Amino acid sequence: MSLKSLDPRITREGLPETHDASPLGEIHHWGTYEVFHQTKKGDRHIHVGSVHAPNPEMAYILAKEQFARRAPCVSLWVVKTTDVYQTNYRDEDMYENNPEKMYREAGGYKVMERINKYKKDHPQNK
Amino acid sequence: MNELNKDAIRDLLYRMADDQLILGHRNSEWTGLGPILEEDIAFSSMAQDKLGQSLALYTLLHDLGDKDPDTLAFNREEKDFKCCHLVEYPIGGYEFSLMRHFLFDSSEALRFGMLAGSSFSPLAKIARKFRGELRYHTMHADTWIRQLGGANEESRAKIQSSLEFCFPLALGIFEPSDYEKTLAEQGVFPGESELQKEWLAHIEPLLAGSGLSMPDVSSCKPSYGGRKGRHTEHLKPLLDEMTEVYKIDPSAEW
Amino acid sequence: MYGGGYIFEDSRNGSDSAEDPRKLEDFEARIQAGEKIEPMDWMPAEYRKQLIRMIEQHAHSEIIGALPEGTWITRAPGFRRKLALMAKVQDEVGHAQLLYSAAETLGKPRETMINDLISGKSKYSNVFNYPAVTWADTAIIAWLIDAGAIINQVANSKGSYGPYCRALERICMEESFHLKYGHDNVVFLATGTPKQREMVQDALNRWWKPIMHFFGPSDKISVHTETLMRWKVKMASNDDMRQKFLDMYVPKIWELGLTIPDPKLKKNEDTGHWDYTEPDWEEFKRVINGDGPCNKERLAVRRRAEEKGEWVRRALMRNAEEYSVPLS
Repeated sequence: MSLKSLDPRITREGLPETHDASPLGEIHHWGTYEVFHQTKKGDRHIHVGSVHAPNPEMAYILAKEQFARRAPCVSLWVVKTTDVYQTNYRDEDMYENNPEKMYREAGGYKVMERINKYKKDHPQNK
Repeated sequence: MNELNKDAIRDLLYRMADDQLILGHRNSEWTGLGPILEEDIAFSSMAQDKLGQSLALYTLLHDLGDKDPDTLAFNREEKDFKCCHLVEYPIGGYEFSLMRHFLFDSSEALRFGMLAGSSFSPLAKIARKFRGELRYHTMHADTWIRQLGGANEESRAKIQSSLEFCFPLALGIFEPSDYEKTLAEQGVFPGESELQKEWLAHIEPLLAGSGLSMPDVSSCKPSYGGRKGRHTEHLKPLLDEMTEVYKIDPSAEW
Repeated sequence: MYGGGYIFEDSRNGSDSAEDPRKLEDFEARIQAGEKIEPMDWMPAEYRKQLIRMIEQHAHSEIIGALPEGTWITRAPGFRRKLALMAKVQDEVGHAQLLYSAAETLGKPRETMINDLISGKSKYSNVFNYPAVTWADTAIIAWLIDAGAIINQVANSKGSYGPYCRALERICMEESFHLKYGHDNVVFLATGTPKQREMVQDALNRWWKPIMHFFGPSDKISVHTETLMRWKVKMASNDDMRQKFLDMYVPKIWELGLTIPDPKLKKNEDTGHWDYTEPDWEEFKRVINGDGPCNKERLAVRRRAEEKGEWVRRALMRNAEEYSVPLS
């Protein structure tokens, strides 16, 4: 006897009526790919998630509907996760900006005062 | 459509719409049960696309004076369906569903390509509208078939044997209609035999590139009858199931 | 679709005492300040463990949650409902995909999680162990179970773990379509023919108990729960969420002239809270532990789906060591 379900799809599967709680056999892990999504041309690609896939081509096929079936999208990138080199949050303080580095800010350059003084001292230049 | 033959067009539309409805329905059975989560999602999207395409064609039929799309899909007798046998079969293993998807969608993409220039402009418009959807469908199908065809011995054997099983059924897609000549002459559709020729030329290199051998067309008996309302044993139960709730009260709004 | 409540082990093993107190203090200060924790961050072992448990169970609930409504996927009446139900069940699978990824960032591979689901080691939301007897059950599920799930998920999306919050953000957006679709479906049935009305009332009667179970038993404040709330793993109490649900949805049910099968259900003017018949928590425990109407079938179906896909996954495996942990 096979399992009769309210779901005709399941009934067709002919599942055993007895419950099998044993773990599955061998486990096959595909690698992961990171998915980047571009909403419209001119925008940047943004990281939106990851998929499991055996190779980049499959990663693309599998990412397309999961990450572009609703949101507008003109282009997807997939990148093998292990190819992404990332920093560790342990090094977070490395990114803190030292406010004294005004020499590389636009606001670090104020010369009007100097110009005005020069103009006052040299009225003949007009 | 002053001079175009309306019966010929209706026949063509029913063949296409019924194929899409029944295949979309079948493929939707995988939703939640697919072999890989991401593929479950992809396959469900394509099943939705199929139903959406059939809805567009039934709507066109409604515009030509036939009943509304829900009635056409959910309240018609089996013998009035014009779908081919390929789409009627239960989903089977994934190798079968994938192969059917590959064979059918490649033919559909070519058919829509032809129809994009149809003299029956509402159909040409629909054909152009769904071009993008079909582009993904064929890319998806081609990729899977190539990858599984060229993977290990087990998967190659599974894919090859589904190809052999599906091939005569797939030839049934191109069962000639009584209107071939009219449709071609009036520039509506170049015809099933023309389409079959293009399709064979299209899939042969794809199959060869996937390490699969294409069955010999000349010794293969196409599974005809669907286009004339003669179906496999699978269609009637499918229709009964699909319409079970609808038929509780067809006049109700669900 | 997911409700919390019973996801936390009653473990109180105080394992945080083994953590480096300086790191722990820093970690808690960051959460206090509203910062998110990311996969590469230091985190207490207990935080990692409880998050894996919670996100994994949430993911399982989505993939198993595809089954009760999936029961009617081949029978949905009319194009509009057929397409919507397909899209809705598809979304649930999509949610599982997003959530398994989020859980994987904590170090447990997806296939291992699925294996734990199938062998019964890992749980999923109790509500999906009940059957969808008629088409109207799918309407009630899509409306009210998803409504409950939104309340839970919106709360959780303010939690502390970055990848989980990001997944929930997208999930909540899609759930709002589910809720609208479910409500629309219930409204059509409730305002339709007498037969349709009867169907939807029967479905509501069947589902009220699982809905009341959905948020889990009354919270017993333990040190353990306090820690998880401080860590922003658990974001709201079961009772608060249940009250919020009743506040929002009882009036919407009543306005359709439907009745709720609980004679005690009413808003208490003094407390401002809903009074209701205490759900049968013994049944709740029994069902979680495998003795519900559909537990065996749900797991058998998931097992079959995995088995049917096994050759596909095996065929495309190139290298057994390929497994990697998603970034975020």
